[in-house]
Amino acid sequence: MATPLNIERQKVEANIRVHRFNPEHDRAPYFDVFKVEVETGMTVLEVLQVIKETQDSTLTFRASCRSSICGSCAVRINEKPVLACSTQVIPTLVAFWKSSITVSPLKGLPNIRDLVVDIDPALEKLSRLHPYLMENKEWIPETLEHESLMSREELKTFDRNTDCILCACCFSTCSAVSVDPGYAGPFSLAKAYRFSADPRDSFKRPRMQAAQDYGLWSCAQCRKCITVCPKDTRPAVAIQRLRKISIDDGIHNTPGSRRAKAYMNDVAKFGQVNKPILPVVVNGPKGWAAVEAEEGYLRKHGLTHSLQAPRLPGQPHVARICQRVRELTQNMTKKRTALRPSNEESKPHRAEEEGIRDE
Amino acid sequence: MLTYDVLIIGSGGAGLYAALESRRQEEISVAVVSKVYATRSHTGAAQGGVNAALATLDPSDTWLDHCFDTVKGADYLADQDAVEVMCREAPMVVREMEHWGCPFSRTDDGRIAQRPFGGASKPRACYSADKVGHVILHTLYEQGIKYGVNYFNEWFVLSLLHNGSRCLGVTALDVRSGRLHAIRAKAVVLATGGHGRIYWLCTSNALGNTGDGPAIAYRAGIPLKDMEFVQFHPTGLRRTGILVSEGARGEGGHLLNVEGERFMFRYAPEKMELAPRDLVCRAIETEVRNGKGGPDGEVFLDITHLGAERISERLPQIRQLCIKFEDIDPVEEPIPIKPTAHYSMGGIHTDDCGRTPIQGIYAAGECGCISVHGANRLGGNSLLDILVFGRRAGRDALQYARGVDFAPMPEGFLEADQAFIDSLIQGDGSENIAEIRHRMGEVMAQKVGVYRNGKDLAQAIEAIRELQERLSRARVRDHSRSFNTELVASLELRNMLSLAEVIAVCAQERRETRGAHFREDFPERDDQHWLKHTMASLGSDGCPRLSLSPVAITRFKPGTRTY
Repeated sequence: MATPLNIERQKVEANIRVHRFNPEHDRAPYFDVFKVEVETGMTVLEVLQVIKETQDSTLTFRASCRSSICGSCAVRINEKPVLACSTQVIPTLVAFWKSSITVSPLKGLPNIRDLVVDIDPALEKLSRLHPYLMENKEWIPETLEHESLMSREELKTFDRNTDCILCACCFSTCSAVSVDPGYAGPFSLAKAYRFSADPRDSFKRPRMQAAQDYGLWSCAQCRKCITVCPKDTRPAVAIQRLRKISIDDGIHNTPGSRRAKAYMNDVAKFGQVNKPILPVVVNGPKGWAAVEAEEGYLRKHGLTHSLQAPRLPGQPHVARICQRVRELTQNMTKKRTALRPSNEESKPHRAEEEGIRDE
Repeated sequence: MLTYDVLIIGSGGAGLYAALESRRQEEISVAVVSKVYATRSHTGAAQGGVNAALATLDPSDTWLDHCFDTVKGADYLADQDAVEVMCREAPMVVREMEHWGCPFSRTDDGRIAQRPFGGASKPRACYSADKVGHVILHTLYEQGIKYGVNYFNEWFVLSLLHNGSRCLGVTALDVRSGRLHAIRAKAVVLATGGHGRIYWLCTSNALGNTGDGPAIAYRAGIPLKDMEFVQFHPTGLRRTGILVSEGARGEGGHLLNVEGERFMFRYAPEKMELAPRDLVCRAIETEVRNGKGGPDGEVFLDITHLGAERISERLPQIRQLCIKFEDIDPVEEPIPIKPTAHYSMGGIHTDDCGRTPIQGIYAAGECGCISVHGANRLGGNSLLDILVFGRRAGRDALQYARGVDFAPMPEGFLEADQAFIDSLIQGDGSENIAEIRHRMGEVMAQKVGVYRNGKDLAQAIEAIRELQERLSRARVRDHSRSFNTELVASLELRNMLSLAEVIAVCAQERRETRGAHFREDFPERDDQHWLKHTMASLGSDGCPRLSLSPVAITRFKPGTRTY
C-alpha cells in the first residue's frame, strides 16, 4: 500500500565568487572563487558557512536567524540585494544559466570587511525621522486597564510596513541614496509613513517636517526598492502616501508640492507643462542655474530659447477638463468634510479613503 | 573606563524592555550591550502569539485559568508563585505594548485579537498575523530610539565581574575594533536568550543562541537551574531546523517514514499526527532508529493530498518557507522534517524579580529560570516571560542601582580574558573549531536529545569533556583584529561546551521522566523524589556540582498531565 518515497537529491559543483576586503592588509577589494558541492535545498548562507568551516575560516559575513526575519545576512547576489539565508543556490544558478554566483556586500554603506557593511549611517538617518509612536492621549487610554481600539481597516493602512526588518536591501539599491547623501532612504521614510498613518500617534507634524528635511521629495519613484524588498513592504508606495499626507496637511512650501501644482496649472494654461521655467518654479531662484545651462546648450546648437512654452492647439479642451476635475475634487472634499463623523474612533484613514492606488 | 549604573546584556525582548524601564529616570545611566544589532535578536523569530487573559474571545477567561494551564503544561515543575505573577501581569504588559504602537491583529470591534493555542484551555494568545515576535521586538526598539537608549552593538561579553557578593561589571570584546574592554556597572541584567545551538544543526534557534549568559554566569559561580529541560519541536526542516508550524498537521498533513508509511498509527492511533509535540518527537525518533528515516535522519510531512488550492489558501506561508529554505514545493512532494531543539526551559537561577544570588546581577528571559516554564513551556508563554520578567528585572536593577555606590574594582580584571583570547589566536594547536562544534551537535542530538538513558548520557558527558579538552588545543586561523568572527565563534563554542556538560550531567541525575525530559530507563514521573529543581554550580574541579531545591506549590496539587 505504502510506496517508498523518492528522495534523490541533486548535487552540482558551483563556483562561488566572493567579494573580499580586509582593511588591515588589503588596499582594494578583490574576488575569491570557492568551489563548493551544492545539494538541493542549500541556501547561499549555508554555502558561505561551508566555505568558512572547510575552506577559509577568515571569510567574514553576518548572519543570525537563518529564517529571513532578522535582516543580518543581506548581501548582493549577482548584483541584486537579497537575504543570503532565503536565496537558494541551484535555482539561482539555473536562472542565470551559469555555474557560478557572485556574492558582494550591500552598496551605499561603508564596507567593514568582506561581506560586512556598516549599517549605522542608515540607522542614524532612521532615528532622525521620529520612527516611534508618540502616544495620542485622546486615543490611547490613560491606564493599562484597557487597550486602545483600532479597526482592521485602520490597521491595514500601515500593517504591511510593519513587516520591515531593517535589512537595508532597499537602501543598497535606491537611486536617490546614490546621488543624495542627505536622503534618508526608502525604509526610513516608509517607517515615517507607518507611524504617520497610525491613528494612535500624535507626532505627525514634527515627523513630517523631518521627512521634508531628509528627502521626502527626493525619491524618484523608480520603485527598485519594491522589487528587492525581501518582505514585500513596498517602500516607494509608502513614500507616495507620505507625500499625499504631507500635501493634505497643508505643507505646500516644498519642491514636490510646487511641482505638482505647476503641472496642474500649466496643463490648463498651455495644454502642456511649461518646462523651460519649471526649475525656477520648483526650486526658487537657485533653479535659474538650470534654466541658464539649458539656454546655453540650445544656443550652442543654434536654437533659440524661450521661457514660455507654446500654447498647444487643443488647450481650450484641456482647460475645460481641468476645470471639471477641480470642481469634482472640490465637491468630494466638501462631501467628505460633511460626512466625517465627529466620533474619532470611526474615522476612516485619509489615505485609504481617497483611494491612493498601490500600483 | 566605560561606566554605567545599569548594564543590560542582550537586546531581545527582555533586554530592551528592561532598558526601557529607565525611560523616566534620567539620573540613572543605562546601556545595552549586544553581540548583534537589537532588531537582529531572536525574539523577532517568534510567530504565534503572546498569552494574556484579556478575555476578548472568551469572556470567562481569567489569569487563574492561565496559571493552571501553565502549571499543568510545565508538568508541575513550575514555581506557582512566579507563574501567578506572570499571569496576573500579562494583560498589563500586552496593553503597554499596544499603547506603544505594537500592531496586534484586531477583532471586529477593534480589540486585540486572540487565538487558541496548544495546551491552553481558552483562546488567549494575542497575535499579529504570524509575526508577533517581530512586531514586539521592533516596537521596543522604536521606543528605545524615542527614549535614547544607549547601545553597544556587536560587543561580545566574556566575563561577569563581581567580588563574591556584589556586581562590578563585565568584560567585553568590541567585535568591530577587536579591542577588549571592561565596563563598570552597579547592576548587570543578563538577557542573552536561549542555548538551542548546543544541538548545532538540530535546532530552530538563531546562530547566536549559544547560551552566553548562562555560561558566563556559571563561570562566575552563579547556579544554573533545571538545565536538563530542552523542548523539541517535531517538525523542523531537514537542512536548517526552521519550523514548519503545527498548522500543517492541523490542516490534515500526514507524517510518513521513508517507506511511505503513515507511522503515527503505531504511537497514537487516535490522535495520529495531532498528538502532543513530545510524543510526535519520540515517534519520529523511533522510526529513524529503526532505519525508517531518510539519509539525514529525517521523516516526511506530506500535504500533497490537500491539493494546490487548499495549500495556497490555508498554508501559504508554509509553502513559501519550504520553497525558500528547502527548495521543495509541498504541493508536489513531501517535506523532509526532523525534531529540532526549540526552547531552553532551564537557565540562570533567579527569583521573580530576576535577582541572582549575587547582588546586582540579574537575569531575565530565556537565559534565566525562575521557573515559570518548569519541565515544558507552553506555546505563547515565552514572549510573555520576556516582557513580564524583563520589565521586573529592569525595574529592580534600577531601584538597586539608585541605592548603592560603585564597588571598588580590583586590578587585572582583563588579564584572564586577554590570555584566553591570545591562547586561541597564537596557539599552535591542530584542532578545528568547526569540527568540534559539529561533533558537539551530534553528541547532544543523539544522546541528550528527545530520548535519554543512563548509558547514553554517561557517554555524552565523556564525549563533551573530550571536546572541551580538544577546544583547549584549537586555534583561530583568522589573526585580524577587526570583525574576527572566527574568534567570536570559538568564544561561543567555549560557552556552549560548558552548558552541554551541565545539561548532560543534570539529565543523568534526574532519574525520572517529566515534561521534555524523557528517560527510557525511568519512563515514569516520580514526584516523591523529583518534584524538585536541579541546581548546578561550577565545582572547584571544573565539573558541575548538583543540588536540589524545592518547587513552590501554592494553588494546584500535582496531577497527571494528559490532554
